[in-house]
Amino acid sequence: MRNNHVVTASLLALSLTVAGCAEVQRAGEDLARQSGNPRLAGAIHGVGNVVGSLFPIGYEEESSIGQAMALQVVARYGGVVDQPELVRYVNLVARAVANTSDRPDIPYRVAILEHESINAFAAPAGYIFVTRGLLKQVRNEAELAAVLGHEIAHVSQKHILDIIQRSKRLAGVTEAGLSYATSNPAAFKNVIDGAVKKLLDEGLDQGKEMEADTIGEVFAARVGYDPEAYVGLLTRLRELKGDDRALFKTHPNFTARIEAVQKTIQGKHLISTGVILQERFSRMTKRV
Amino acid sequence: MTQPRRNWIPLVAFCAVLVTGGVEAWAETVYVQAKTAQLRLGKTSLDAVVGNVKYGDALEVVGRDGSWVEVKTATGAKGWIFSNKTSSTKPSGTNDALARLGQSMRGGDASATTASAGARGLDKASEGYADRTGVSARDREAVDRMTAYQIADQEVEEFLREGGLGEYAK
Repeated sequence: MRNNHVVTASLLALSLTVAGCAEVQRAGEDLARQSGNPRLAGAIHGVGNVVGSLFPIGYEEESSIGQAMALQVVARYGGVVDQPELVRYVNLVARAVANTSDRPDIPYRVAILEHESINAFAAPAGYIFVTRGLLKQVRNEAELAAVLGHEIAHVSQKHILDIIQRSKRLAGVTEAGLSYATSNPAAFKNVIDGAVKKLLDEGLDQGKEMEADTIGEVFAARVGYDPEAYVGLLTRLRELKGDDRALFKTHPNFTARIEAVQKTIQGKHLISTGVILQERFSRMTKRV
Repeated sequence: MTQPRRNWIPLVAFCAVLVTGGVEAWAETVYVQAKTAQLRLGKTSLDAVVGNVKYGDALEVVGRDGSWVEVKTATGAKGWIFSNKTSSTKPSGTNDALARLGQSMRGGDASATTASAGARGLDKASEGYADRTGVSARDREAVDRMTAYQIADQEVEEFLREGGLGEYAK
């Protein structure tokens, strides 16, 4: 008789879990366990994980993902540049842009990777990287602001988190919930390794890259930087690298990006301010 | 003969309420689209700061002039704000309530996986990940420093002022 009550109460907990009541879920788990029914406790726990994995990833979990991904980015790109004035300058530009982004309420920090390739990356929770090679190609502060705007847009639009969330759902992952990072480090490692592979090797889908170009351009323009500057940078990079498809595993080709940026400038009525701050940029980056 | 005239009084009062209420209901609202923003006495960056607002705050539009919007806050304070720091649509927020519920259902221990902004040290999850993947001490230190990196809002404001950016545009 008592067992029937336990089963009924536990089933109630199970259904409330599906409805989203975490406390009831835990009480149900405890009740089932105390009554000697570990399988039922496990079932309630499992449903909780499945339902929980459908909710968005919060900043605390995002921060763990971002930090672990940052470790891998720094390791694979040979460390970071140790020039405090230069790092401070790049971070000031990033903060100026991020403060008027669609997600200004999280910390953003930029590190310069000690690498000659021309690249930039953004991991969740505001971990942003630009390579020394990219900085050498940039000619003024407005171009730098556009590059950083693109990366900030990846963070504000939660592009990497979307990919992680989708892959978890497709794989039916339950116990690999990111909150289990400390109790299930192997699952956490799988999640991070997959996300790093997507970021550094395969690239995000081209739609996300185009979206980051468009939104980042608006962020930089809100601060007052000349929106035409990004067109200038992309055009020079096209001259340097061409539009060869083999080079564009991770991004749409430059011609498509330039067209999309020009369309954004017209469509969003972004005003050409003429503010590119070339002199300040040259002064601050002369040791790049 | 005076009775019918008195009947008009409540009707006129009702219409007045409707009109003023209607104006109130139709007042334009903008939202702060920047981490923080200053309300100024006038419509230039040289005017005195009369108040501070933060991301997502709703402001009632009182007037507009060029790149500046005159607004009234929920507490009744009035001032001018640079229009690029406002948005006509309410910021969507970060789904924090839903995210917290999701995390609690996944059974996570937030304190174990949290690195608060500016805190020194990698969090437990990242430290474990670094151990399993053999990340060097030098690279751990680099990410540690990156996590702790902070720039004060006043420094950013000074940077904008020096560059003639945002509301400091010349």
